[in-house]
Amino acid sequence: MRCAIVGSGLAALTSYATLRHRGVPADEIAVFGTHADPTTVWRIRASSIRQQRMRSESDGHLAAAAFPGLVQYDHWLPALLWTVTNRYRPPIELFLRHAAAVREESGWDASFVERRVANIRASGAGFAIDGEGTFPHVLLALGHPGLMRLPGTVHAYEPHDYAPQVAVIGAGMAAATEWRNARAAGSDIVSIRRREPLRRPLNVPRVLFSKRGLAPYHRLGDDARVSLLHDLGRPSYPRSREWDFEVRVVDEPPPGYQVIAATGFRKGFAEDALLADLVATHDLATRDRFIVLAPDSTVPRLTDEHRTLSVAGAAGQWAFPAADTIAGAKYAARAFSSRVCRTR
Amino acid sequence: MSYTLIGRVQSRLVATLPPLIVALAIHRWWALELVGLMLLFGLALDVCVYDKLIDYQPGWLALPLGAGELGLIVLATRMPLTWRAFDLFALGWVTAQVCGHGLFPRLRLEYAQSGGELGRLGAIVATAVAAVTFASIAGAVAVIPPTVHLHGVVQGPLVITHAQTLVGGVVRGGVVIRSDHVTLKNVTIVGGEYGVDIAHAQHVMLDRVRLLDFKMDAVHALDSSLMVHRCSVSAPASPLANGILITYSMGRPMSMVQKCRIVGVREGITTHSSMVDVVDNDVVGTTLHGISLSEMSMDTARGNRVESARGIAILCMDHSVCEISHNTITGALVDGNQDPSRQGIAIESYFYAEAHVHHNTVVASPGGVQALDLGVVTR
Repeated sequence: MRCAIVGSGLAALTSYATLRHRGVPADEIAVFGTHADPTTVWRIRASSIRQQRMRSESDGHLAAAAFPGLVQYDHWLPALLWTVTNRYRPPIELFLRHAAAVREESGWDASFVERRVANIRASGAGFAIDGEGTFPHVLLALGHPGLMRLPGTVHAYEPHDYAPQVAVIGAGMAAATEWRNARAAGSDIVSIRRREPLRRPLNVPRVLFSKRGLAPYHRLGDDARVSLLHDLGRPSYPRSREWDFEVRVVDEPPPGYQVIAATGFRKGFAEDALLADLVATHDLATRDRFIVLAPDSTVPRLTDEHRTLSVAGAAGQWAFPAADTIAGAKYAARAFSSRVCRTR
Repeated sequence: MSYTLIGRVQSRLVATLPPLIVALAIHRWWALELVGLMLLFGLALDVCVYDKLIDYQPGWLALPLGAGELGLIVLATRMPLTWRAFDLFALGWVTAQVCGHGLFPRLRLEYAQSGGELGRLGAIVATAVAAVTFASIAGAVAVIPPTVHLHGVVQGPLVITHAQTLVGGVVRGGVVIRSDHVTLKNVTIVGGEYGVDIAHAQHVMLDRVRLLDFKMDAVHALDSSLMVHRCSVSAPASPLANGILITYSMGRPMSMVQKCRIVGVREGITTHSSMVDVVDNDVVGTTLHGISLSEMSMDTARGNRVESARGIAILCMDHSVCEISHNTITGALVDGNQDPSRQGIAIESYFYAEAHVHHNTVVASPGGVQALDLGVVTR
């Protein structure tokens, strides 16, 4: 086996599809994960929060090439007009159908190995996964370390219904969606939040999705980069009439209210057992809650001419600020696949 | 998309490939010039404006930017845009959209995240496009016909047998043109059997030429394609002399006679077996026909003013197909009482000719609009 992908979510699938697109045979890739269906975890979260449309746009899909985008599969003519004005939000159902197609066309199931990986060790010219095998190229697509749960609350990304009185903690996309849902359910809603919500179309300014913004970003000093990443991590949601209604803000949940924690995910490498172990074992460079990565999302200390350790997904923000998006997964996957193909 | 400067430039250059190929294939100077201008303005805007002002370019912005670039080209050339030029520009614009949104992201996975940069192969293609475009323009400029400025009076007849541009001066005895790509500009021609005698030539341009004292025709074109623009024809040497005659040129590209003033000749503008646009001319005091479109010609007479024509002002004759519109005919004169076809007729379709007539103004012309001898007038 030439390469391994650790993780079985959307980032893993898009990485796998990219490798296959670039001609790496399925029998040279092993995918280690806990769910054969890469949409399982994401689907539960989206369904819990009753998400109907993606926040990403037409190119927020899992196939290797950006074209065709989801809008080309959405048989709704005005969608083309929406997409040129960046207002197209693909329906969840379309996205899931597309994910199933990518899974099937890429041959994902042939490479999937059901296993929760506990540790990764550099070993000679590659990496041992749980003490087995040697993979010259490994991509970590671990996803978020877990939900940011608060005692006595139900998390927005876990299945739940709405009581007549609902208090929503948070000010991001999930919180806004919960306001909308609870309102639709006829609930009385209050919001508990530390700051006023930011209204921006995507988590990260668009310029940071391309070299135009990334080149200066990669030149930032460590402190400036940490500061910027914290700033970008502030909760936000897009401008839309869907969410434009008054919600009463309170400091504490009023007695008798159902409390929903729209608090997103735990953050930082230390929250993920596998990453924490990797950092500790190999003494990897870190800053604040971030693992220091090269601009191509590789771990510098463990990557050389013959082997590659790349990080995709939320843990890859040091290289790509929007790493927790599908575009971020692709960024890491493309760089990873280039290295894999170069050393073939 | 958020382009880097290199990405903008490379994407633009590579997307220019199809219009460049078309321009080279049709082998027309205007097309090559347009592609060159598209690149020149585009690259200048990329470097000086877009890269500085546009951090992120949404898809819809391509439309106003494209319109702006087109406007700048039109302003810079100070020429009205022809449909063919618009088509070529539109091809470039559409190609850029198809490449930017479909082809490039398909061929190069990192296209968007690299800010439009196309990698090593893209850089080579972009450089090649730039080199071919500017080399072609340089090559075309190198073979542009020489320009000769005439000073004072030149004794003719002046015989032109190779491509050139003559500017200014007075030529006595007429000019004979026997070569393609000849331009006469601001030349006054006095005398000669024909003022200008053109045969078997195309891409001939007569621009602001004055013709006087010619014996037979002011301009005589046989098997040729020419553009006559803002000419002045007057004071013929003989009452039998004609104005502009374009004859047996059906196998050549279309000709055009535009904004000329023709006074006191036998026939003002005449075509035989040709395709000619006769547009916005003033034809005054002719003794046979004002404008005559004849012998299986396929012509247009539009926006002309024909005044005091004896017998017939505008004639479509002998199996010709004519589009006659927006002309103003005043004071067509009755020419004796023997011939019914010359009774001060403003527009006449004669002998199996088919004239499609609309939006003309006819004043004080007793014959009105008529179809005679199996001619047809449709409105």
